[in-house]
Amino acid sequence: MEELIYHLTNILKEVSGYIYPNEIELHWGLLIVIYPYLTGLVAGAFILASLVKVFNVKELQQTYRLSLLTALSFLIIAPLPLLVHLGHPEKSFEIFLTPNKSSAMAMFGFVYAWYLMAVLLLEIWLDYRKDIIIWASSEKGIKKWIHKLVSLFSSDISERAIKFDKKAIKAITIIGIPSAFLLHGYVGFIFGSIKANPWWSSVLMPIAFLFSAMVSGIALVLLIYMVIYSWRPKGINMQCLDKMASYLFYVMIVDFSLETLDFIHRTYEAEESIKILAELVGGKLFVSLVVIQVLLGMIIPLGSIATAKLFKMPEELRKLIYFVSSILILIGIFSTRWNIVIGGQLFSKSFRGLTEYKMTIFGLEGLLVSIGIMLSPILILYVLTKILPPWEEVRNP
Amino acid sequence: MLSIWKKIPEQIKRLSFLVILIVAGYLLISPLFIPPDFGKYGHFRASAVEEIASQQMNYVGHEICANCHEDVSVIKSKGYHKNVACEVCHGPAFLHAEDPGSATLEAPRGRSYCTLCHEYLPSRPTGFPQIVAISHNPMKPCITCHDPHKPEPPVTPKECSACHATIARTLSISYHIYLPCTRCHETPEKHKINPREFTPSKPSTREFCGGCHSIDAKSDKGIPRIDLATHGHRYVCWQCHYPHLPEAK
Ligand code: HEC
Ligand code: HEC
Ligand code: HEC
Ligand code: HEC
Ligand code: HEC
Ligand code: HEC
Ligand code: HEC
Ligand code: HEC
Repeated sequence: MEELIYHLTNILKEVSGYIYPNEIELHWGLLIVIYPYLTGLVAGAFILASLVKVFNVKELQQTYRLSLLTALSFLIIAPLPLLVHLGHPEKSFEIFLTPNKSSAMAMFGFVYAWYLMAVLLLEIWLDYRKDIIIWASSEKGIKKWIHKLVSLFSSDISERAIKFDKKAIKAITIIGIPSAFLLHGYVGFIFGSIKANPWWSSVLMPIAFLFSAMVSGIALVLLIYMVIYSWRPKGINMQCLDKMASYLFYVMIVDFSLETLDFIHRTYEAEESIKILAELVGGKLFVSLVVIQVLLGMIIPLGSIATAKLFKMPEELRKLIYFVSSILILIGIFSTRWNIVIGGQLFSKSFRGLTEYKMTIFGLEGLLVSIGIMLSPILILYVLTKILPPWEEVRNP
Repeated sequence: MLSIWKKIPEQIKRLSFLVILIVAGYLLISPLFIPPDFGKYGHFRASAVEEIASQQMNYVGHEICANCHEDVSVIKSKGYHKNVACEVCHGPAFLHAEDPGSATLEAPRGRSYCTLCHEYLPSRPTGFPQIVAISHNPMKPCITCHDPHKPEPPVTPKECSACHATIARTLSISYHIYLPCTRCHETPEKHKINPREFTPSKPSTREFCGGCHSIDAKSDKGIPRIDLATHGHRYVCWQCHYPHLPEAK
């Protein structure tokens, strides 16, 4: 109790203007910031992989499997922040047993399951099937059995079967893109449909979420690619890197214009909430929105990638620019999620006051748990690359 | 038949096996976990209704009290507290209504109880009677002067501030401090006894304020002047100036 009061009195010192009593303490904290961030990374990484397949981009072949595995490892963790936040994870399966069709939040389980099972796992399985069978045939002991199990004891690697795999992958990719849009557009939809909150309620929300997801996903794959391949014997393929950077650049342009559009629309419409939102952006969100999200996470990377391309800079410099830019972008998109989730709860529905978010370090909602959740996909990715190596050289012709 | 089976690619067979396994598992397991009466009326357990209904009741509502305490109910229904339910002051009375002998109720006779609603607070609505307890006839219980069931001030309040404390306080630090309320609001005497039925007037035209502030008005020299024809025209004055705290900034 004493701790609680201490916590509240600390927040109260930061409260300005008039706010309702139940608005002092935020209900959605850091975990809910992480959740859209993770699903965004998944959707982005998957869409990158799909681009490679659908448009048959040769330069990016190297990243195809890597982005699929990245998407998978982040997808496995994506629901975790929700489970931790809600408590009672043992009851979560009930949303599958008694589906509530009128609740967008309750339908998330199905969107997620569809995306995981019908799209991502299937595509990975079909793509790897031939290789797994061949690996299993030359391996011994536990590894052999893992691979056999993963291939569902399939053994057909005839010409016809491989052809079928290829066709099926194309089909799944085509279903997969709308599904990835659905997965992340859905997260935006949840926020966009909260009518009472002018910071969230906007039809642009799902679309803006989607494009920022693509930006973050591509930046993540680019970063992982650079880190992993600088250790691998083959080294970084500059053509591949340049191509990824240009995709990143184009998607960022779209994302940036969408966000600008949203901004202009809001200021022009100037609804009754505009004053308090302006105060929010100019005050409590200034650093995280104007400085980190827009300046560091958007304008600087856009500018530096553009100059790197325009002036044909030397390779090493380009690498450095891509590397730093993608880190900045990842931080910037995290900040975007933060500004949406936390920012949307900082102002009073009376439009007359602001509260404050105080992060805790320990406890389920605290910083340490969140860091753990954010790092676990990396661990999963490591294990996955051991079981299903995505490297070109182990691919069987 | 066999030829069709042969045409299906091997991987599809294996996948379908897995899918069938998952679907069958779902179909088999879900009845075990879904409560049998789920969905009978809506998206919830039907028995939840009974469970809630079977909980111990605490409140009975004020109509029942009239069966046995008719005198009090009749008095109260005519007074200011007509909308304050009996159980707000006497506490949950379900058991008492069942068996008045064994379950007795308490009456809040102390001063601290009434002040929950009547202590001065700026956020209380306009006209709500408020007092400052430490200065309002201190030490004596409120019920010595006010009947809790038909509370009336023993004498009609002389000041508007009795019920409009916030406005009075605001006005008292404003430029209009020396204007009595009645200069701008024609107030029938009965408003102080029966405020909702006899409401005072409110200024309705720009000319009203112009009576003192217009350049050609015959009023005190110190009063700041404006040109009625041009100053904030099209709007009434109190869309920009709060009349109880006028500011010219
Ligand atoms: C079935 C008839 C009955 C009903 C219904 C009933 N009461 Fe009573 N009440 C009594 C009786 C009889 C007494 C006197 C008990 C005693 O003196 O021990 C009493 C006593 C009281 C007292 C205590 C008076 C004192 O001197 O302290 C209060 C207060 C009271 N009732 C309030 C209520 C309220 C409020 C309700 C409605 C929710 C209510 N009663 C409903 C019969 C009833
Ligand atoms: C604003 C609070 C309040 C409300 C509302 C209220 N009472 Fe009372 N009641 C009191 C107080 C205080 C006393 C004690 C009076 C005293 O001791 O002089 C009391 C005393 C009583 C008594 C015993 C003395 C008497 O006057 O007979 C009864 C019976 C009673 N109330 C019934 C009711 C009933 C029935 C209602 C609803 C119709 C009701 N009360 C509503 C505050 C309230
Ligand atoms: C649950 C809140 C509540 C409690 C507790 C309460 N009152 Fe009231 N009181 C009211 C309301 C509501 C009115 C009616 C106000 C109106 O008409 O706008 C009122 C009116 C009055 C008035 C009339 C003032 C006037 O001239 O308009 C008096 C006096 C009064 N109460 C005294 C008391 C006393 C004494 C007690 C303690 C026994 C008490 N009240 C407890 C809500 C409460
Ligand atoms: C000594 C008798 C006495 C006592 C005790 C007393 N009052 Fe009053 N009360 C009055 C008188 C007289 C008035 C009307 C004149 C005035 O405004 O002071 C009044 C007026 C009121 C009003 C109407 C608003 C107003 O200021 O005129 C309320 C509400 C009120 N009293 C509540 C209470 C409450 C609550 C208590 C207990 C904390 C209480 N009174 C104790 C005598 C008393
Ligand atoms: C007994 C308490 C009481 C006293 C004393 C009282 N008022 Fe009121 N007054 C009220 C209430 C209650 C309302 C709210 C009526 C409504 O909202 O329907 C009100 C409303 C008003 C209004 C607004 C009417 C409207 O149409 O919106 C004015 C103006 C007003 N009072 C002026 C005065 C002035 C001036 C005095 C002193 C001469 C005064 N009142 C004394 C209780 C009081
Ligand atoms: C300079 C003139 C002036 C004086 C003096 C004045 N009022 Fe008013 N009052 C107004 C005007 C004008 C309005 C109408 C405002 C509106 O319609 O928005 C008003 C509205 C009100 C209202 C209803 C709206 C509200 O704000 O709740 C109440 C109650 C009221 N006055 C009470 C008082 C009381 C009590 C006093 C004395 C303490 C007082 N007024 C003194 C000009 C005045
Ligand atoms: C009875 C004459 C009278 C009436 C009627 C009147 N006022 Fe005033 N007003 C004054 C006086 C006196 C002052 C204070 C001048 C001074 O001391 O600076 C004043 C000052 C002001 C000021 C200037 C405050 C400042 O910051 O300098 C404004 C604005 C104002 N009144 C608005 C209004 C409005 C609006 C109304 C109509 C609802 C109104 N007045 C009705 C007498 C009046
Ligand atoms: C559109 C908004 C608006 C409206 C409507 C309006 N005013 Fe003003 N008033 C102002 C502003 C702003 C100022 C301060 C700047 C200035 O002096 O023009 C002011 C200043 C004043 C002053 C102080 C002038 C001085 O020289 O210090 C008075 C007195 C005044 N207003 C009275 C009134 C009266 C009476 C009305 C209604 C007939 C009225 N106002 C309507 C906005 C408005």
